[in-house]
Amino acid sequence: MKRPRPLSRRGVLRGAGVTLALPWLPSLAGASTNTHTAPRPPQRLSIFYLPNGMRMDSFRPARTGTGFELPPILQPLAPLRERINVVTGLAHANAQPLGDPGGAHGRSCASFLTGAHPKPTEGSDLRCGVSMDQVAAAHLGTDTAFDSLQLGIEPSSLLGSCDIGFSCTYTNTLSWRSPTQALPVMVSPREVFERLFGDAAAVDPASRARLFDRRRSILDFVIGDAARLGGSLAASDRHKLEEYLTAVRDVEQRVQRLAGQDLRWVSEEITLPPGIPADFATHVALMIDLQVLALQTGLTRVATFMLGRELSNRAYPEIGVPDAHHSLSHHGGDPTKVAKLVKISRFHIAQLVYLLRKLQDTRDGEGTLLDSTIVLAGASLGEPNDHDCMDLPALVAGGGLPGDRHLALPRHTPMSNLMLTLLQRLGAPVDTFGDSTGTLQQLDAAEAGRGLA
Amino acid sequence: MGNAAKRASLYMILLGLWSGSAGLVFASPGEMPEDAQAQADGFLQRYCSRCHNEERFAGYWALVDVDLHAIARGEQLEAWEKILRMTRDGDMPPPLRKKQPSPDDRAQFAAWLQGQLDGYSARHPHPGHSALRRLNRAEYANAVRDLLGVDLVEASSLPADDSGYGFDNIADVLTVSSTLMDRYFAVAGRVSRLALGVDPAAPARTGYQVPKDGSILNQGVPSFNERSSGALPIDSRGGGAFEYYAPHAGYYELAGFLNANTNNEVDRLPENRYAQQIWLDAGPHTLGMSFRRELGLDESVQTLRNTTDIVPMPVASPALTTLDFVVDGARVASANVPTFHESPRFAQKNFLRDVLQIEVEGPLPTPDLEATRAASARELPSREAILRCRPGRGARAEQRCAKRILRPLLRRAYRRPATAEDLASIMKVFTAARAQSDFDEAIATAVQALLVAPRFLFVVEDTPPGLAPGTPHRVTDTEFATRLALFLWSSGPDDELLSLAQRQRLRRPRILRAQVARMLDDERAAALTENFAGQWLFLRNLDYHRADVEAYPDFDVRLRAAMREETERFFAAVVREDRSLLDFLKADYSFLNERLATHYGLEGVYGPAFRRVALPATAQRGGLLGQASLLTLTSYGNHTSVVRRGQWILDALLAAPPPPAPPDVPALVAERSGRALTARQQLELHRAKPACASCHVKMDPLGLALEGFDAIGASRSEFAGQAIDLRASLPDGTTFEGLPGLQTVLLARRDQFLRAFTEQLMIYALGRGIQPQDRPTIRAIAADAAADGYRAQQVLLGIINSYAFNHRRSPES
Repeated sequence: MKRPRPLSRRGVLRGAGVTLALPWLPSLAGASTNTHTAPRPPQRLSIFYLPNGMRMDSFRPARTGTGFELPPILQPLAPLRERINVVTGLAHANAQPLGDPGGAHGRSCASFLTGAHPKPTEGSDLRCGVSMDQVAAAHLGTDTAFDSLQLGIEPSSLLGSCDIGFSCTYTNTLSWRSPTQALPVMVSPREVFERLFGDAAAVDPASRARLFDRRRSILDFVIGDAARLGGSLAASDRHKLEEYLTAVRDVEQRVQRLAGQDLRWVSEEITLPPGIPADFATHVALMIDLQVLALQTGLTRVATFMLGRELSNRAYPEIGVPDAHHSLSHHGGDPTKVAKLVKISRFHIAQLVYLLRKLQDTRDGEGTLLDSTIVLAGASLGEPNDHDCMDLPALVAGGGLPGDRHLALPRHTPMSNLMLTLLQRLGAPVDTFGDSTGTLQQLDAAEAGRGLA
Repeated sequence: MGNAAKRASLYMILLGLWSGSAGLVFASPGEMPEDAQAQADGFLQRYCSRCHNEERFAGYWALVDVDLHAIARGEQLEAWEKILRMTRDGDMPPPLRKKQPSPDDRAQFAAWLQGQLDGYSARHPHPGHSALRRLNRAEYANAVRDLLGVDLVEASSLPADDSGYGFDNIADVLTVSSTLMDRYFAVAGRVSRLALGVDPAAPARTGYQVPKDGSILNQGVPSFNERSSGALPIDSRGGGAFEYYAPHAGYYELAGFLNANTNNEVDRLPENRYAQQIWLDAGPHTLGMSFRRELGLDESVQTLRNTTDIVPMPVASPALTTLDFVVDGARVASANVPTFHESPRFAQKNFLRDVLQIEVEGPLPTPDLEATRAASARELPSREAILRCRPGRGARAEQRCAKRILRPLLRRAYRRPATAEDLASIMKVFTAARAQSDFDEAIATAVQALLVAPRFLFVVEDTPPGLAPGTPHRVTDTEFATRLALFLWSSGPDDELLSLAQRQRLRRPRILRAQVARMLDDERAAALTENFAGQWLFLRNLDYHRADVEAYPDFDVRLRAAMREETERFFAAVVREDRSLLDFLKADYSFLNERLATHYGLEGVYGPAFRRVALPATAQRGGLLGQASLLTLTSYGNHTSVVRRGQWILDALLAAPPPPAPPDVPALVAERSGRALTARQQLELHRAKPACASCHVKMDPLGLALEGFDAIGASRSEFAGQAIDLRASLPDGTTFEGLPGLQTVLLARRDQFLRAFTEQLMIYALGRGIQPQDRPTIRAIAADAAADGYRAQQVLLGIINSYAFNHRRSPES
C-alpha cells in the first residue's frame, strides 16, 4: 500500500468543520440489536422574526382559548390553526429605556431573544446577553455540523440605517453567543448554500440558459435510462426509481424557473450581492428551503430567521404597498397607513405559513419535521407607533405542542418566561433565562387535557 | 461444491459433534426426537419459566409464546436466537439469581439450540432481503474519483445520508430527494467540466478555515510552535494547508487572515489580511501558509488569563516576523507581518501570530488568459485519461471518437460492459450538446449525464429471466465485483476486477483471495477504515466532540485529530497486516505522534508525524480501550461517564446493548452532605434502586475499570480529591481491576467479541440489517476465524464467501 499522504484531504476538511451529521431515521430504531440510532428524533428550534413591531389590534384574537376568530393579520394561518398557539400579554421590560436615551428599535431587537438590556453604544464595546437560540444551540448543537444558523433577508452592513446611539449589530441579528459576541446573519441563498454544501453556481442569464439547455438533454437521457431500468425492477425498487425521477423533475423545474433570471439584480435602494433573488417572497422561500434543508439533513438543529432587519425600510410594491415599512410603522393613526401596515404583516405571516407548511410536509422519523421543531415567531415590538415593548406578539407552533389556542397571559408576563419554557421543552438544562420569573404553565397545562400531538 | 452445499455439510458435521457432546440424540436434522426436546423443554422450564410466564411476563414474553418446533418451520427464529444469545453468554438466567444451570447444562442447551438454528439455516439458505441501493455520498465521491481519475468531490459537500443499523450504506434507507439530485447535478457538472478543463476561466474564490481553537478563554494549548501539516515546510510553525484544484493555469491570489490577538479569536479584520500572487499550473495542489519555526521563541506569550472585560494591553510594540506562502510544500512567497495586531481597543498578545483563514482566488484576469487556459487544459492528466482520441474532421469522425471515449467510461460507470443501447443513449446527449458547444464541452456534458444516470447512482442487480418471484439466485460476477468494491473500497470496481468478472474468473478461490489482498493493499481501502470503523466505533462522533476548555485546556482540534488518527491507523493496520482481531481488545503497539504520546505520558516520540510505537507494559494503553479517541467520545465534555463507557463496550464490542434507560430515570446524585461523590459512589446509590440495577450491574463495572482515564483519555489517579478505585466486579462475581483487568474480562469473551465484530462488518458489507437467518452464518464465520488465530482477513473473506454476499432473491412481484 502506498503511504497515506501526511495531510489527507478529508483530514483538512474535517478540521474545517464541514463533515455532516447523520439524520435520525425512525423506522430502524430498535429494529436491530444495534443501538447506534438515537431513540427519538432530535428536537429543533426555529425562530422567525418579524421586523418593525406588530399592530396588536389586528393581531390579538378577540377571544382566548380555542376556536377563536382569526384577526386580519393571522388569517393566512387558517389552514394551520390546529398547530398554532397565539401568545399575548408578553413583555420585555429590559427593552424599555431604563434611563438610556433613544434607540427603541436597537434595544428591542437586541433584547428580543436575550431578555437583556443592551448597552447603548455605536462602538465595538457591545454588550447584550446570551440569546435563547444560542442557549438551545449549546444544548442541541454539540453534534451537528453547525450549532446554529443565522439567516435573514436583508444584508447587514447598511451604514446609516441603524438606530440612533446603537450599533448596527443590535438591529442586524438576534443571536448572541456571549454578551459581547453577536452572530452575523447570512442573507444570500448562495452563501448559505455554499456554507452548507460548498459549491458555486452560475448567476448570469447566459450561463443559466446554457446550464438549462445542458440539463434538458441530460434529463431526457436519465429519464430514458430509468425507463429501461424500471421494467426489470421489483415493485419496491420501482418506487425508489420513481422517487429518483420525481427528484430529477424537481431539479429540472427549479432550473427552468431560475434559468432566465438575472441574479445580478441591483435595486436602486440597496445593493444586493449576486445570487439574491429580486423578489421578496422568492428570496424568503429560498431561505426557508435552505433552513428546512439544514434542519432536515441534521446539519443544524437551531435556526433563526429575520424576515427583515429591525428598522427595515423595505417596500412591498408586489402587494400594493410601495411605502417603506419602518416609515409606515409610525403611522400616527392614519387609517390608510395602518391598513398598509396590516397588509405587510399579513404578507409576512404568509411567509411564516410557508415555513410551517414546509416543515409539516417534510418527514422526520415517524412524524413530520414540524413535530420535532419548535417554531417561535414574533416581533420585538407590539404597536410600532408607540415603540411598545410591553405588549408583544408571539406565535408558537410545532415541537409536539397542541395548537388552535390563544393564550392570553397576565399583562407584562416576561417574554423570557416563554423563552425559558421553550428551552426546557427542548431539554436545555436551564432554570432561568434573561429576566425570567418562571415558566408558562399554560403551555403545558393544556397538554394534560389534550395530549401531545 | 457451491457455498451453500459446503455450509450445509459443515453444519451436518457440527451437528453431529454437538449432539454427541451434549448427549442428545438426533434422528435427522429438522426432526426433533422426543427426549432432546424434553431435555430442552426441561431446561427452559427450570430456569426461565419462573419470570417468563404470563403472570410476571418479564421482558414482555412468556415461555408459552415460543415453541421449539417452530424453528424447523423457520418461525420464531429471532426469539430463539435471542434466547440462545442470552443463555450462552450467561446473561440469563440473571446472574444474581440463585438458581443457575451448571456450566455443562448451559453449554449443552446452548449447543443443542444452536444446532437447531444452524441446521434450519443450512437447509434453507437465504440471501436476505436486497433492495435497489443508491451509492451513498462517500461511495459517490469515490466512484467519481475513480472514474475520472481526479479527486474533486468531497463527500461532505453532498447531503448527509440517512443511516440505519448503525451505518449509512443501508439500501433500504438511502432515498433520493430533490435536494440530493440538485447536488448531484451541480457536482456532476462542476466535476466533469474541471476534469476536462472546459470550465470558463472566471475567477472564483475558495476559502479554507484553519482548524484552530483553544482560545476562547485565552488559554488552552496553542500548538502554534508546531508544524501544523506535513504539507508545510519542515521548519515551519502554525498556519495550515489545504488541497486546491486549480481549474486553469494562471496567477492566483493566495491570502490569509491572521489572528487579531484579541480576546476573541474570530475576527477577520481587513488589516490582518495578507495576500500574494502566485502561479499555479492547472490541476491539484496543496496550498498553505505558515510562519518560521522559532527554536528560541522571541515572540512572547502572555499566559495571564483574561475575561472579556479585562483586556491587558501589550507592553512593547510588535516586531516583524515572516509569513510564508506555500505551494506544494515549497515557499513561493513571503511577507513581513507584525508579531501582533495593534488596535486602539483590542490589542494584546496572548498568542503567537497565526493564520485563521486562507483564501485562494483566481485565475486572475490577464490579457492572454483564454489562451493560457486552452494551453494549460491540454496538460491535465484527467483530461488526457478521458480523451482517448482527438476527433478528425467531420461529424462521423467526431461520433466515432466520442464513442471511443464514452464506451470505457460507461463500463466503469455502470460497472458492467456497455450495451449498444447504453452507448446510443449517451451519444444522444453528446450530439445535442455538440450542437451548442465544442467537442470537449460536449464530452463533458455526456460525462455529467453519466454521473447522474440511474445506472451509476444505483447499484442495479438483474434477475435472470424466467425466475419465479422470491427465488434465491447467485449474482453475476460483475455484480459480485461491485459488491466487493463497495465493501472494501466504498467505490465501483476497477478495470482489473471488471475484466476478471467478465471472464468469470473473479470468484475462483485463489484469484478472489489474491484480489482481496490486492484491494486491501490499495490506497482505496482507506474507505473501509473511514466508513466502517468510523461508524462501528462511533469514531465519526469525535469530530463533533467539544471538551470543556476550562476542565480540559489540553483539548483542541489537533489533539482530537490525533486521537482519531491513532484509532484509524490502528484499525487499518490490523486489517491490512491481517493481524489478530483480538488486538482490538489488547495490543502492545499503537500509532502515535508527539502530541498524543505526550498526552499519554509517553516519551521519545517527536514531531507531528504518526508512527508505530511499541507500548511498554507500564503504559496502560494498547487496544481500543486504551485509546484516547474512544475514552473521549464515551465521555461528556467535562466529566467521564462510567455508564457511557460501559454501554459502549457492551454495544460496540459485545453486541449486547443494554435496553434503553427507562423514561423516568433518576439522575445521579453528585454530592452528599456537601461532599462530592466519586462516580463509583454515585453509581452505588443508583444501583441500589432495583429498576436501575438490572442493567447497571452489567454496564457499570466495565466503565468503572476505565476511571483511570479522564474525559479526554489522559491517565489520572484521583478524582475530587480521592484516589480512584479501579476495582470492579461482574454480576457473576468475577473481580478485576483497571484496563488490564478489563482486557482480561473481554478476552475471556473473545468469541462473543468476534461474533459482534462479524455482525457489524456483515451489516456494512451487505448494506442491510441482520436477519435471524444470518446469525448461523455469522457464527460460522466467527468460528472459522477463531480457529485461524482470529485473523482479520479471515472474517472479511468469510463474509465475501458467504451465501448472502453471493446471492440475492428475485423480486417478489
